[in-house]
Amino acid sequence: MPVVTLYFERLTKLLGRKISKEKITSTLPFLGLDIEEQTLDHVNVEYSPNRPDFSTDYGVATGLQGLLEIKLDMPQLKIKKGTDTIRADLSVGKIRPYIVAIKAMGGKMDDETIRQIITMQEDLHNGIGRRRKKVSIGIHDLAKIKFPLVYKAVERTHRFVPLTSNTEMTISEILENTETGIAYSHLLEASKKVPVIVDSTGNTISFPPIINSKLTEVTSKSKDLLVEVTALDKTAAEDALAVVAYTLQTVGFKLYSVRISGSRNSTVSLESRKMLLDPSLVNDTLGLSVSPAVMVKSLRKNRLDARIKGKQILCLIPRYRTDIFGPIDLVEEVALGYGIQNLEPTLPPAKSAGQKNRVTVSLEAARNTMIGLGYSEVMNFGLVGKQIQYDLTKREPSGIISVSDSKSQEHQILRNSLLPGLVDTLSRNIHESYPQKIFETGTVFYRDNPINEEIHLACTSAHNDVSYTEIKSVLQSLLKSGFDIACTTKISQDPIFVEGRTADILVDGKKIGIIGELASGVLDNFKMRIPVAGFEIKLTGLIFDQT
Amino acid sequence: MSQVLHPIEQKILSVLIEKQNLTPEDLSEKTHLSIDQVRRGIEWLKFKELVQVNELEKSFVKLGNRGSEALQHGLPERQLVNYLKSIPVFSCEMSQAKDHLKNEFSPAIANAKKNRWIEIHENRIMLKGYHDTTSEERILRMIGSKNPAMASLDEIDDKEALDLLKKRPEFLNFTSAKYSTVNITEKGADAAKNTDRDTSDSEIRAIDVEAHAPVVFAAKSHPLTDVIDEVREIFVSLGFAELVGNSAQSSFWNFDALFIPQDHPAREMQDTFYLKDMNAKSVATPKQLSQVSVAHKTGWRYDWRMDAAKKMVLRTHTTCVTIRELADYQHDEARLFSIGRVFRNEKVSYKHLVEFNQVEGVVVGKNVTLRDLMGLQMEFYRRMGIKKAKFWPTFFPYTEPSLQSMIYNERLGKWVELFGMGIFRPEVTRPLGIKNPVLAWGGGIERIAMLRYGLDDVRELYNNKLSWLRSVPKCQ
Repeated sequence: MPVVTLYFERLTKLLGRKISKEKITSTLPFLGLDIEEQTLDHVNVEYSPNRPDFSTDYGVATGLQGLLEIKLDMPQLKIKKGTDTIRADLSVGKIRPYIVAIKAMGGKMDDETIRQIITMQEDLHNGIGRRRKKVSIGIHDLAKIKFPLVYKAVERTHRFVPLTSNTEMTISEILENTETGIAYSHLLEASKKVPVIVDSTGNTISFPPIINSKLTEVTSKSKDLLVEVTALDKTAAEDALAVVAYTLQTVGFKLYSVRISGSRNSTVSLESRKMLLDPSLVNDTLGLSVSPAVMVKSLRKNRLDARIKGKQILCLIPRYRTDIFGPIDLVEEVALGYGIQNLEPTLPPAKSAGQKNRVTVSLEAARNTMIGLGYSEVMNFGLVGKQIQYDLTKREPSGIISVSDSKSQEHQILRNSLLPGLVDTLSRNIHESYPQKIFETGTVFYRDNPINEEIHLACTSAHNDVSYTEIKSVLQSLLKSGFDIACTTKISQDPIFVEGRTADILVDGKKIGIIGELASGVLDNFKMRIPVAGFEIKLTGLIFDQT
Repeated sequence: MSQVLHPIEQKILSVLIEKQNLTPEDLSEKTHLSIDQVRRGIEWLKFKELVQVNELEKSFVKLGNRGSEALQHGLPERQLVNYLKSIPVFSCEMSQAKDHLKNEFSPAIANAKKNRWIEIHENRIMLKGYHDTTSEERILRMIGSKNPAMASLDEIDDKEALDLLKKRPEFLNFTSAKYSTVNITEKGADAAKNTDRDTSDSEIRAIDVEAHAPVVFAAKSHPLTDVIDEVREIFVSLGFAELVGNSAQSSFWNFDALFIPQDHPAREMQDTFYLKDMNAKSVATPKQLSQVSVAHKTGWRYDWRMDAAKKMVLRTHTTCVTIRELADYQHDEARLFSIGRVFRNEKVSYKHLVEFNQVEGVVVGKNVTLRDLMGLQMEFYRRMGIKKAKFWPTFFPYTEPSLQSMIYNERLGKWVELFGMGIFRPEVTRPLGIKNPVLAWGGGIERIAMLRYGLDDVRELYNNKLSWLRSVPKCQ
């Protein structure tokens, strides 16, 4: 989850009223913000990616003003009509077809404000922007730009000075040699040409979705800004622009529209949305019986406009609230404005008896029988490493099911047997007293159509006098006294066991498992000196049916 | 009743009752027990107050370098006498004696004079007479006869002679050593008598019932299983029926059915485990597929793809099991829950595992509300022994409204985030034909287990350290 840093001093100025730190920190969670870390002068909070307006202290302050009843209702976005234009060329149609933009004039930004805006930009890239694939944002110093601009596709030999450099580079060089070029070059793999924004003097100002130009770099001296958003989806582009526009207006900028021309493109208005809310949906969902007037007040506390219209509530939703899909989202807004802490929990009576699944009941019986036989339960993972599962047990790998891009060597493949995990457990406890008798029940996986999951039980006994006979007694007793099942054993082979002391376990002539004494070579691989015997059986199909 | 004594204890007491003040060495000799057995027996008896042990200190005297020489060659004055005896007329010049005795000359003259063995006249030494043995020589020989050459100061009666020897440099060294003697107490004497009678009268030899017994370990279920079982019992007691489902699921049931768009960051490989080259053969009914895809296309405005929905993943939550049950069986009223392993492609750390257990319960009903959901959560916590809980808003892609619950942990002295909850979005329920609202709540079980067992590192639950598994109390 993304994090935003809130300095109490800045927050107080933005709120427009002196509010105690305690009041602020106790209110933040009720905006859905989790406090991660708190120091004397600031607090770090996590916010949900569906609320990108909380990516700056400006947005958080807007929310807090509502809950603290400093300011109610929707913040008004004022965009004056501008005359500057951007033309989207046909050539970007198949690469990155949409562009929207806005001018922000006459603002002042200190270093912390710039830092907040850069963080917001990155969070928008990762959230709405889907790591810049869907949407990317460029913010420029307007003073360096001569309108009209053209958004067009160019060859990879096109040259300009990118933000992080002091010398001219070709598009190819930028993609191969700069940090962001390397990170995002895959987004442009599908086409030879790449999109750029060029001004009327021929200067390249942006290379979306990769990097801006050095020429238009924003500093604390910049007074006027151009915000451009390019995208694969027009609505997503507007979503991102709306969040930036509201924030810049709160910083103190005056906003002007930029006219967009070109196929499939148009100038944006970032208008608020109207939505009707049925008061009975609110009461039925929350379990309340409050009046529409209370609901209206609650919505206004969440910085939405709301008024009663007949039997309904008419809401006006600012364009930056991209998280509101439909009336149910407004129900949550009411709940937040009303106060979650004011909702009294009620316990509805159960209308039917609960019950455990029959698989659980049978598994409990198997576990209890093993414990009665003196075996202690251990727990290993289902997603394991090749080394323990195959290399050390000398078993032949076949039909392995692997996961893609695991971050850990020990979690690469799905286990098809529990025994390797048990032997590994024993090998990590060689300094503990013997006998060591352990068992595990758990899911194993096989390739099928496409995959088959079975629940197995395996156990091992480790001590100086362990024998095949001892472990077979345990097997017989588990099946007989646990489930009244008789089994037989038939000589067999498995590299994990000693040849001549290995057998298939058969029930009604069908193989349900394997039993034996561990091969000395396997014990050597696990660096064990104590002899071990064990077995593994399939419980699925034996004591319960396939789920 | 009388105390039962170990055979070692009995032997020691039977010796002590005859003779007091014995050292462990003495006891070992008299009982024919090894010194270790005796020492152990004395400890036991002392603890039972049947014997009394006195810690004492003893001084010893040893021969120094010149003392050893004197033992071999005689005291300087004896050497002088022997020399005089060996020469004619039993007299010599001083210088002659000096050559012969070298360093010993001065003490030899002084002591021989004191003993009145010689007279000195005009630089000539004359033997006058001598004693065969002096008291100093007796002490030297007595010490020298010991092995090692060391004697207790108590053994030397002639303190005058000892003082004289002490004055001679490097003749004697003094040391001290600690030792103990054992005496029988009155209680011990009684016990010794009683034991005699018990052992002779009884056929079954008595044993020390108060001694420590060897440690054995009870076979047990895993502590995490115990927590899972406890959670399951609570759900059942609240009227929930258990569902069991597979760990490997199609992306459709894990994500699409829950209105999580196909380009959502949570669906990326760096968060979710995809099974390499594995696609579901049949995913859902044609109706379910088409309605879910429409919900995505209109709600999220993107090109929904069937091949993405078919990709097999290791489930990231148990919600895929409950939502499928609700979609396939269209319950109008139900309380269902599912407990099982879920998987996240995370870096393993003290906080995160790639595989852990999750529980999720759902309540379907015409009139169920958010307050009911909060009430069920509170009741669940109450039955888990958690007294204080509170609720905050949060975000989950498939529920609205969504809440997270915080519980107060007494041990940590702070609020800890635990289960999440919410009401399924209409974008989830409507395409799957679910008519009534669905309350859903749940979370990770390892978190509860960590709080229960006071663990700071979640990995400890899967370390299978026998030392921990054997020692952690079954009930706490």
